[in-house]
Amino acid sequence: MTLLEVQNVKKIYTTRNGGNQVEALRDVNFSVESGEFVAIMGESGSGKTTLLNILAALDKPTGGKVKLKGQDLSLVKEREMAAFRRENLGFVFQDFNLLDTFSLEDNIYLPLVLAGQKHVVMAKRLWPIAQELGITPLLKKYPYEVSGGQKQRAAVARALITKPQIILADEPTGALDSKAADELMRIFGQINQEGQTILMVTHSVKAASHAGRVLFIKDGEVFHQIYRGNQSDEEMYQKITASLTVLMTGGER
Amino acid sequence: MAVELSRLVSSGDTSNKRSVCEPVCIGKPGFEKEQNLGGQDTDTGQREGGHWPDGGQNAGGQGFHGGFYVRLAVTNLRKNGKAYLPYLLTCIITVLMFYVLSAIAKNDGLNELRGVESMRSVMRAVLAVVGIFATIFLLYTNNILIKQRKKELGLYHVLGLDKGNLARMLLWESVITTVASLVAGILGGILLGKLLFLILLKLMRFSVPLAFSIEMEAVKESVLVFGAIFLVSFLRNVWQIGRTNPVDLLHGSQEGEREPKTKILPTIIGVAALAVGYYIAQATDDPLSAVINIFVAVVLVIIATYTLFMAGSIAFLKFLKRRKNYYYQTRHFTNVSGMLYRMKQNAVGMANICIMSCAVLSLISVTLSLYLGAEDMLRTRYPRECLANVYQVGTERVEKENQIVEEETDRAGVRIENRVSAHLGTFTTLWDGERMSFVDEDAATIALDQLYGIYVIPLEDYNRMEKKDVSLKNGEALFYMPDKTFGKDTFWIGETEVRVKEELHSLAAEELSTSAVTKVIWLVVDGVETVEELVGQYSAIGRDGFFYMDGFDIEGGEEARAKAWQSINARMQEEMGDAAVFWREERRESYYMSNGGYLFIGMFAGALFLVGMILIIYYKQISEGHDDRERFQIMKKVGMSQKEIRATIRSQVLMVFFLPLATAVLHIAFAFHIFSTVLRAFGLSNTMLEVSCTAGTIGVFAAFYVAVFFLMSREYYRIVR
Repeated sequence: MTLLEVQNVKKIYTTRNGGNQVEALRDVNFSVESGEFVAIMGESGSGKTTLLNILAALDKPTGGKVKLKGQDLSLVKEREMAAFRRENLGFVFQDFNLLDTFSLEDNIYLPLVLAGQKHVVMAKRLWPIAQELGITPLLKKYPYEVSGGQKQRAAVARALITKPQIILADEPTGALDSKAADELMRIFGQINQEGQTILMVTHSVKAASHAGRVLFIKDGEVFHQIYRGNQSDEEMYQKITASLTVLMTGGER
Repeated sequence: MAVELSRLVSSGDTSNKRSVCEPVCIGKPGFEKEQNLGGQDTDTGQREGGHWPDGGQNAGGQGFHGGFYVRLAVTNLRKNGKAYLPYLLTCIITVLMFYVLSAIAKNDGLNELRGVESMRSVMRAVLAVVGIFATIFLLYTNNILIKQRKKELGLYHVLGLDKGNLARMLLWESVITTVASLVAGILGGILLGKLLFLILLKLMRFSVPLAFSIEMEAVKESVLVFGAIFLVSFLRNVWQIGRTNPVDLLHGSQEGEREPKTKILPTIIGVAALAVGYYIAQATDDPLSAVINIFVAVVLVIIATYTLFMAGSIAFLKFLKRRKNYYYQTRHFTNVSGMLYRMKQNAVGMANICIMSCAVLSLISVTLSLYLGAEDMLRTRYPRECLANVYQVGTERVEKENQIVEEETDRAGVRIENRVSAHLGTFTTLWDGERMSFVDEDAATIALDQLYGIYVIPLEDYNRMEKKDVSLKNGEALFYMPDKTFGKDTFWIGETEVRVKEELHSLAAEELSTSAVTKVIWLVVDGVETVEELVGQYSAIGRDGFFYMDGFDIEGGEEARAKAWQSINARMQEEMGDAAVFWREERRESYYMSNGGYLFIGMFAGALFLVGMILIIYYKQISEGHDDRERFQIMKKVGMSQKEIRATIRSQVLMVFFLPLATAVLHIAFAFHIFSTVLRAFGLSNTMLEVSCTAGTIGVFAAFYVAVFFLMSREYYRIVR
């Protein structure tokens, strides 16, 4: 089943004093099937973050459509938007975005509290997720008391607890050391195995090699994609590296 | 920018024109720098500031020309305008007020006013308070400012300015700020001072125009005081920078905030102090004890305010947090945790604001009550329009006084009415309910609530005034306690037992002397000799405690009344020597003069506190806005709608803002009783007036506060959004 459809998405920024227009996304087309693990790669400035912001409904495209389960995001009313995001999307960010004023447990509860859930329900949901991510002993701690990897796992738990249609991850390993990054990607692989759809934007070949499919963006367009098929992570790694080389040396040849 | 600066720092060769870069570009990237980048320096005036003064011998950062720092300082101040402008404004206002108060206190024209010395000393005292207050809050805001700028200073440091250079840059910033605030403040003071002086004279009901000139002494004083304050804040900045290393400077403001811990003991202390403070304020009924108790109560309530804002609020929020069903609700969740965080950072600031609000409210409401209650006080203090006191009492002197009064009122064509006159002996005693014992001057403490004034009048005067024919034997007395009943048959004066022949429930002679401060007992004894004897034995001032008083109203035209009093007064002084006549109309002047002066000082100090408070609130909101911005951005990403964010912000800002005001109003409400008791010592016992003065002051103050709130919260939204 197709979960996410991106059709002819275009985004043009106009600088504040008028005049200069910057085309961040020219014409992006792709779709994500339910249960997929997709990585999007590209150089800095290729429009990855813009794309993710549009998918997250934090930004509106200048042209084209984004549909989640057939629903056009641009048709969701402004005041229902926050609730829509809360119910359908889970976010994992590079800099974790945990609130220092809350314990990890409360940080994970945050989206559910915003949705008006009862404490009993939230606690029941948290337990298996915390177990799976190995953060049960850390729940009472505060973000400034734990390591980056632990923070990111708490952020993943926060994304998972709403049972979202899709998890959008923006450079999730960007601020982590290699060990913590590997651990996080193992967790992503694991929750994807259990059926969670994941869309991840990343710079890291290592991180992308865990995905089932890798999209390459260049100059505001989807330039290339690789399917894993039956390949191992290592073979995937080789293929991504090769594609990136082509991408950087100028794909027109 | 980095390239430019490093070139500037590393180059030691002035002959290479390219190296003479416009230094201002450090402070303001892109500004003016293009002019010199081409290497074709034709405009020498433009780059004067960039020359090495020592011909390039000194390759290090020490080589910057003095002008460089001036321009850097100017640029910095301009760039940080949003933060510095309110600070500068406050400096100016504080200097202005300090100068004006100092100039008024030194004004020569005021010498024409009677009793001006006491007011002057009050003004000097208030001036000292203003100085101390200015020191505290200017240092406080300077501290906030330099903290905000740590990152910027760290960047300069990394780019090649060493700490000495930074200090020189800060020195110029301080010099500019100091000169600007002193010049603007004193100039403003000279201009506005005249207006304020006129207002003071108006409040004092003084109609003769007095000159208000430039007081060089006051200028000198302002320059000295504020020069010292600015010097101290500069030294503090340098010390702050010297202490921290550049990396810390760069990360200056970002330190992980730990969740505060519940502190049970301070909370208990706070609650106890508040309870005792409020109790004292409620339970004090006696003006003399009130003067002392008010200090105790104020200190207790200040302690309570600080501890409760700091520890009590956190204990309360932690309690809410533990109640899971309450805590995990959409509204409460962000509010409780947000407030917890805020209270940790802001408790002291909020307590400061609360205390300052209390100071403003009490100062203004008390002085306003005194001013508006002047008529009441006059009536209490002088129940009769005229009151003559004759000392060295003897029959001829009493007759002489009578004669003068009658002759002069006749001559002026006015009538005497409501006349009350009597011989009066007075002394002070400690009354324990049945015995008068006498104050030992060596006694360390005196039970103030036992302190009584005793008025003794002879039977003849009593019978005459009351038109009665009572007789008394030696050792007998008539006993009268205003507003109370004694109920016993005998009492003791020292070791002497006195029989109460009759307890009275009213006394005409009471009109002669009303004491607002001490409680009194009136005695009627068998004769003048007994009165003299008691006074001689017990009065601390000897025979001066015995005199003859004559109180009466005069009916007639205004001029005639004035004339009657003047001639009575003149003749009494001339013919009788040791005697005095008070006229209510004449006393009114001096009442308004002192009370008007106090009101002026009260409003003046109140306005200053208000300015300081607004400044503190402003910086608090701004710096909080920057802190909160990140938090709200995260909440937005995690799925909080704009509306929810707004609601949360509003309720938190409201709480932080209005909690100090609400607390202050509560404090004032509880303080009302003791204030009103103290006012009774001044002869004011008009509760309605006091209530309306206090309520009015609170109303105006709250209006100001709300206005500030709207201004600030707009700025706050702008930052957070």
